[in-house]
Amino acid sequence: MALLQGTDSAPIGGQQAEHSGALSRWVSQHSPILILGLVLVLLPAIAGEFILVQVVGWAMILGMIALSLMFLGGYGGMVSLAQMTVAGVAGYMVAVFGASSLPYVSLFWPWWVAVPIAIAIAVAFGALTGALSARTEGIYTIMITLAIAAAFFYLTLQNWPIFNGFNGFTTIPAPIAFGVNWKRPLPLYYLILFFAALSYIVVLYVSRTPFGLALQGVRDNPRRMEAIGYNVTAHRIAAWAFAAIIAAVGGILLVWQNNQISPFSVGVDVVINLLIIAVVGGLGHPIGPFIGAIIYVILRTFALDALVAVGLDGRRFQTLIGLGFLVIVLFSPDGVIGLWHRWSARIRTSRGRNGR
Amino acid sequence: MSAIAERVAAAGIGNAIAERMAAAGAGNAIELRGVSRFFGALAALTDITLSVGPGERRAVLGSNGAGKTTLLNCVTGDFPPTSGTVRFFGEDVTTLPPHERIRRGLRRTYQISLLFSRLTVRENVYLACRGVSRGRFSFIRTRASDAIMQSVVDLVSLVHLESVIDRLVGELAHGQQRQLEIALALAGAPRFILFDEPAAGLSPNERGDLVAILTALPAHIGYIIIEHDMDVALRVVESVTMMHNGRIFKEGSPSEIEADPEVQELYLGGGHG
Amino acid sequence: MATAFGGDSGARVPARGDALGRWVGHHPIAALAVAVAIIVVLWLVLAPWPAGFEDVFGRKRLFINALFNGITLGGLYYLVASGFTLIFGLMRNVNLAHGSLYLFGGYMGYEATQWTGSWLFSYVVAFACCAVIGIAMQFLIFRRMEGEDLRQTLVTLGLSIVFSDLMVWVWGGNAIQIDTPDSLLGPLPTPIVVAVRSSGEAVFLQYPRVRLVIFAAAVLIGIAMWLALHRTRIGVMIRAGVDDRDMLSVLGYRVQLLFVLVFAVGAGLAGMAGVVGGTFQSISLGEDTHFLLASLTVVIVGGMGSIPGAALGAVIIGCAEQFGQTYFQNYATMLTFLIMVLVLAIRPQGLLGRR
Repeated sequence: MALLQGTDSAPIGGQQAEHSGALSRWVSQHSPILILGLVLVLLPAIAGEFILVQVVGWAMILGMIALSLMFLGGYGGMVSLAQMTVAGVAGYMVAVFGASSLPYVSLFWPWWVAVPIAIAIAVAFGALTGALSARTEGIYTIMITLAIAAAFFYLTLQNWPIFNGFNGFTTIPAPIAFGVNWKRPLPLYYLILFFAALSYIVVLYVSRTPFGLALQGVRDNPRRMEAIGYNVTAHRIAAWAFAAIIAAVGGILLVWQNNQISPFSVGVDVVINLLIIAVVGGLGHPIGPFIGAIIYVILRTFALDALVAVGLDGRRFQTLIGLGFLVIVLFSPDGVIGLWHRWSARIRTSRGRNGR
Repeated sequence: MSAIAERVAAAGIGNAIAERMAAAGAGNAIELRGVSRFFGALAALTDITLSVGPGERRAVLGSNGAGKTTLLNCVTGDFPPTSGTVRFFGEDVTTLPPHERIRRGLRRTYQISLLFSRLTVRENVYLACRGVSRGRFSFIRTRASDAIMQSVVDLVSLVHLESVIDRLVGELAHGQQRQLEIALALAGAPRFILFDEPAAGLSPNERGDLVAILTALPAHIGYIIIEHDMDVALRVVESVTMMHNGRIFKEGSPSEIEADPEVQELYLGGGHG
Repeated sequence: MATAFGGDSGARVPARGDALGRWVGHHPIAALAVAVAIIVVLWLVLAPWPAGFEDVFGRKRLFINALFNGITLGGLYYLVASGFTLIFGLMRNVNLAHGSLYLFGGYMGYEATQWTGSWLFSYVVAFACCAVIGIAMQFLIFRRMEGEDLRQTLVTLGLSIVFSDLMVWVWGGNAIQIDTPDSLLGPLPTPIVVAVRSSGEAVFLQYPRVRLVIFAAAVLIGIAMWLALHRTRIGVMIRAGVDDRDMLSVLGYRVQLLFVLVFAVGAGLAGMAGVVGGTFQSISLGEDTHFLLASLTVVIVGGMGSIPGAALGAVIIGCAEQFGQTYFQNYATMLTFLIMVLVLAIRPQGLLGRR
C-alpha cells in the first residue's frame, strides 16, 4: 500500500481484437468514467451558475493543475510543490500581455498572442525548475520546489512594475472568440470541461507511450535506465515541460474563472493545498487529482457552515484539512483511489465466496 | 546449429551493421590506460592498463575488493575514473555519460539485478530495446505489429521467460530475474557486453543455459565477464585478467591461469571444482 | 590471509594530507578565489575606509552593521537548520514541521519568561517541550513507516498545518517579543573602526550585546555538536548512519533509539532557536513558514546531512539576507534565491554535501 505504487493502465503493444466485441468490452470496462463524463456534460441542465463555475468548474481547474503534479509524482517519482507556481506564472503572464484593469502594466495584446506567450513562459519556467531538481535525489525535489514557489510568491509580492505587488491584477476576462463570449458562465464551463477532459485523456494515453514508459522506468531505476541508453536528465526535464503545459492551461483558465490574480493565489499555503489535493485523490491514476479537487472544493465551500453547525469555530478550516490529509496519509496513502481499489476488491472476493 | 544458437540468431542480435562496425573498428574494443579510481582516501583502482579486442572473450577474476566491479563501473561510466582514459572502439569515452556509451554498443549486466519491478517482463525488455533505438521521446503508442515488439518477444524466448512475459518482474523468482538481466544486455545491436557475476544465484541447470547463451553469441560480440565461479568463467572465455588490491596482477589464457602457482595460492579453496 | 604480495586483502592506501588538502589540490583556482575573498573581507572589516571608497560603496557603518547582523542571523539560522539537516541526514525525513517546532518553542519560551521571568530557563522549557513533541512524532508515527521517506515527509506536512492553525487559535495573530534580560541589554564596544571623524578620532562599532552573546552560544552549540558527532560512540553511529543507511540495519534494535534521540535533539534545537528569534526579532504567525523556508535554503546551499554545511549555509544566507535588505530593498529575497539557484546549478548536492 505504497504512496507511489504501480500506476495502473493498459499493457503496451495493445492486442488487436475483433472490433465489435472489443468496443462493448471497452465501454463496460470504462463505464464509471463514461457516466461521469455524461453527467458533467449534462450538468448545466440542472445546476445553477454558482455550482457550475465556482464549484465544479473550479474543481476541474484545480484537478488539472493537480494532474500535472500527479504526472510528475506518480509517473516520474518527482513530487513537485511548484505546479501551482507554474500555473500562477501563466496566469500572471496572461494578465501582463493581455487585458486587465491596469493599462499601465498590461499590453492588451489579443488572446491568440497572449495565451501562447503565457504558456511558453510557464513551460520555460517549469523546465528550468525541472533542470534544477533533476540532478538531485528524489526527496530533494519537494524541498527545492517549495523554495522556488516561496521565491515566486515573494517576487510577485515585492515587484510592482511587472506584477503590481500586493494588489495583483483584476478584470482579466476570457476573450470573445469564434463568435462566443467565453466569459459567460455556460461557455466558460464547457471550456473548462473540455480542457480538463482533454488533459485527463492525454495523460492516460501518454503513460503507455515510449516517453511515458521511459519516465516510469526513470522513476523506478534511474541508474538502470542510463545503462540501457536513456538520458535520464533529459527525460526528467521533458516530463517537467510536458507537465508545465497542463499546469499552464489550468492557470490561464483559473485566471479567467477567478477574474483576478494576486500573490495570494500562489502563496505557500495554496501551493501546499495542491499537493494535499493530489495525494488525497491518489497519485496512482489520472482520475485521482480530480477526485481530490472536488473533495477540497466541496469542503472549502461548505465547511464553514458545517463546522459552525457542529459548534466548532469556523475559522479552524486549516486544521480540518490538515487532519483529513493526515488520516489519508496514515491509513490510505494511495489516496481515495486506493480506498476504492481495496473496497471493490473486497466486494469481488465476498461475491466470489457467496457464489455469483 | 543448436536450438540456443538458432534463437540467438532469430533475436537479431547478430546485426549486420554491428558486425561491420566491429570488424572495421580500429584496434581494441575496450582500452583502459592508467585508470585509477579513488573513493576519498580509498584507492579502489590503481593505474589499470587493459586492452580487449573486438570479439574477444575475457574473464576478470579476483577476490572480493580486488576492484572488478569498480573497473566495470569505470568502463560503463557509472562513475568516472579519477585519472586515466577509457576508449571504446578507438573513441575516447572517458567523459561521456553512460547512456552515450550504451548507444555506441556497450552493454552491461549488474551483480544484483537492477530491474523495473513494477513493470512486466515484456515492458522491461521493451524499455531496453527502445533505449538503443529511435523514438525514446515518442508520444505515439507502440502497436503490437511494430517490429520492435517482435524483437522483444524474441529476446524473451531466448532466455526462456515466455511463460511469464506479462508477469510483474517483482513477482519473478531470483533465477528468472537473473535471466531477464541477461536479456536486457542483449537488446539492440550490442558490440561489447560487460557481465557482472551473471551466474550468481543460478541453479546448475540455469548455469548450463547461461554457458550455452554466452558461447552461442555471434563472434563479433566481445565480452568481459566477472565471475567467482571459475567453472562458468573459464569455460566461456579465451583470456583471463586477474586483479588484486585494485591492480592487475596477471594475464593469460585460461589454462595458464589455472596452472599458475601464485593464482592457486590466492584462490586456495575458492570456487574451484 | 597472507599473499605473495604481503599485506592484507584490503586496498586501503593512505592519502597525502586530509580532505581539505585534497580539495585545494583538486581545485586550485577555486581555493585561490576563496582565499582572496577572505582577505578582501578582512580588509573591509578591519581597515578604515578611504574617503573615495565610501562615496562609491556607501558608509562603512552600513556595511559593518549588515555584516554583523548577517553573521549573528546566521547563528540563528544555524540553530534551526542544524536540527533540520540532522533529521534528514539520518532518517531521510524532510521535516516540514520544523518551522512549527521553531514557533512553538518561541511561544513556550515566551510563556516561560512571563511565568518565571528567567530568560535562560525559557531555553530549557522550549527545548524540553519541542523535544517531547519530537519524541512523540518519531516514536508514535514515523517508527511505523520505516523506509517510506516521502510518506514521512507528507505526515510532517500535515502535522505542520494542524500545529500552525492550533497555535493561531491559542496565541492569535499578534507579534510577541521576548524581553532581553537586563544583564545583556545595551551595546558592547568593539575594536572595529566604522568611521574616522574629521578630528582624526576613530569611531568604534557598538554592537548589541545580546546578539553577540547569542552568536557565541550558537558557536558553542555547534562545537558541542561536532564533538558529540566525532568523539562519542553515539555520534559515530549517527555519522555512519548518515553516510550509509544500509549500515544501520547492522545496529539492530538500537536504531529506533537513535532515531528518537536525533529527532528529539533536532526538534529541541528548533525550539531554542524560537526563543532566540523571539528575542532578536519577534515571533508571530507566519514565522513558522519563514523559518522552514530559511532552513530549506540553508541546507540546500550548505549541503544536506552536513552539520558544517548547515553552519556555512547559515552564514551565507544570513549575510545575503542582511546585505540584500540594506542595499537592494525591493529584491532582497531574490538575492538569497539566486544563491540557491546558483548552488543547485553548479553543485547540486550543496557546498559541503556529499555525492
